[in-house]
Amino acid sequence: MNVLLSIAPIFRGRGLATVGMCWLLVVGIAAIGAPLLAPFDPLEFDPFIRLSEPGWPHLFGTDHFGRDSLSRAIYGARMAILIGSGSVLIALVAGGLIGMLSAYFVRLGHLLMRIVDVLMAFPALLLALVLMTLLERSVLNTVIVIGIVYATTTARIVFGMTLKLKRDVFVDAAICSGAGNTSILFRHILPNLMSPMLVQASFIFAFAQLQAAALDFLGLGLPPEVPSWGNMLSEERVYVTRAPWLLIFPGALIILSVFSMNLVGDALRDNIDPRFKDDIAGV
Amino acid sequence: MLIYALNRVLTLVPTLLAASFLVFIFIHLIPGDPASILLGDTATPEEVAELSRELGLDEPLWTQYVLWLGNVLQGDLGTSVFFREPVLSVIADGAETSILLATMTMFWIVTFGVPIGIVSATRHGSWIDQATSGGAMLFASVPTFWLGLYLILIFSVGLGWFPSSGFPSLADEGGASNLRYLVLPSLTLAAPNAALIIRLIRASMLDVSREDHVRTARAKGLHPARVAIKHIFRNALIAVSAAFGFTFAALVSEAVVTETVFSLPGIGRLVVQSVLRRDYPVIQGVILIIVVFYMAINLLVDLAYASLDPRVSLK
Repeated sequence: MNVLLSIAPIFRGRGLATVGMCWLLVVGIAAIGAPLLAPFDPLEFDPFIRLSEPGWPHLFGTDHFGRDSLSRAIYGARMAILIGSGSVLIALVAGGLIGMLSAYFVRLGHLLMRIVDVLMAFPALLLALVLMTLLERSVLNTVIVIGIVYATTTARIVFGMTLKLKRDVFVDAAICSGAGNTSILFRHILPNLMSPMLVQASFIFAFAQLQAAALDFLGLGLPPEVPSWGNMLSEERVYVTRAPWLLIFPGALIILSVFSMNLVGDALRDNIDPRFKDDIAGV
Repeated sequence: MLIYALNRVLTLVPTLLAASFLVFIFIHLIPGDPASILLGDTATPEEVAELSRELGLDEPLWTQYVLWLGNVLQGDLGTSVFFREPVLSVIADGAETSILLATMTMFWIVTFGVPIGIVSATRHGSWIDQATSGGAMLFASVPTFWLGLYLILIFSVGLGWFPSSGFPSLADEGGASNLRYLVLPSLTLAAPNAALIIRLIRASMLDVSREDHVRTARAKGLHPARVAIKHIFRNALIAVSAAFGFTFAALVSEAVVTETVFSLPGIGRLVVQSVLRRDYPVIQGVILIIVVFYMAINLLVDLAYASLDPRVSLK
């Protein structure tokens, strides 16, 4: 409850961002309660009702295997949350550590940030593509690959912010009172980075959805049988003229979720330390 | 300025070398013998043995890298497993489509993105601003391939205005009218990127409009449109130019998807197909070329930025 009260002012006067937050809650609930909420088994074939139009009992219609689209969409929310939070976790932990350590230990920073520079010389989706050719198609590998791609940008951003913080008086004060490097980094600098990193997280979450959908579409993301929104689009795209609704629902779900996450990120960004505002790259 | 330029070029060299090493090592990360990977499944043992000797596979890794880099610098990127042709000519085949697609996309981005960005910033806070910047964010949230599929559905299948896929060369029958094949793909590719440019122009124009020289221009009674264009927009453009490298990267990434949706014979689709065909020499070649291109563009952007804003090179 306390958490809710503390974030409430951020959304004051931002109707659209509030709606976005509510939508994300709906996605979260769908993800957690998928087995209870889904009216059918998302993997069950029924050739007699393939490509049936939206109606009762298949509200979103059925795909070319006769699987219930609504149930697949509800399970797809799981994948959306899993991929989003997984890549955010990897990007923030790896990128955050690299950025902080590089800014704090100058010598190490020369080496680490050059490596980051080299990885950033590859456009995002291309890097993901190359990494996916080396790995099997699986949920975990997709998350790892997208996480690595965004770890590079995160490292760059955290590096810049840590450099600014390092010059602050409170760091000098901590050094004077005998604090060690670990303590300065994790007890003094890290807490100051938390809110800008949260904003960054919301943008990574949004971009990760689009990257994962693109990988699914190219046939290099999640295994084809996994019910994700990207796979639903990828598998049914050949039926677009016969059954356009099959692409409208998952497409709308992706757009709504990415849009909501961007709106929330935008609202959060306006409430962080103004020094860091320009560091965070959103939409 | 000259010192700054030299400095920028020199710092680029190690990054370029490291990036090329990553591209080189890519073949070695795939399980199996590099020579047979490069030649594909149909290669005879003699061919494999010959290529192994050529690549110096029994030599230490760095010698192999130097050999490879030497070949690359002479324009030899290896041979495609699938096409049985030099990688460079396979890539060159896709260049026309990709370059035309990129040009047309930039055209849309500039004709739509720039005016909308300016209007959005000058009408800051109004309903027009809220609608355009909200709309821009919405477009940036749409998966490229989804937009492409629906454009095909509406404008090719439904209205029959544009062809839905493929692209015959401008040299083929039809000549310049073949450009109509690229209208829908370039619009698809432009949408998310125009959205980014709109938001960027808006943000940097708002930054500039708070500066003193703008207040002076207004105070001496200049026409608001003149202030907006000459005093605010031109200064904001400096910040926008810095983002062009980023736009290029986004363009490359999204071209991979767009060319696949519209089955265009470009470099983006070549990457995807090569990945699916396990045509590793082509993947290696394309990635290398794109990375070099990307770095060159970033360098040009930096230099342009420094010459537009002298404060940068003095830092």
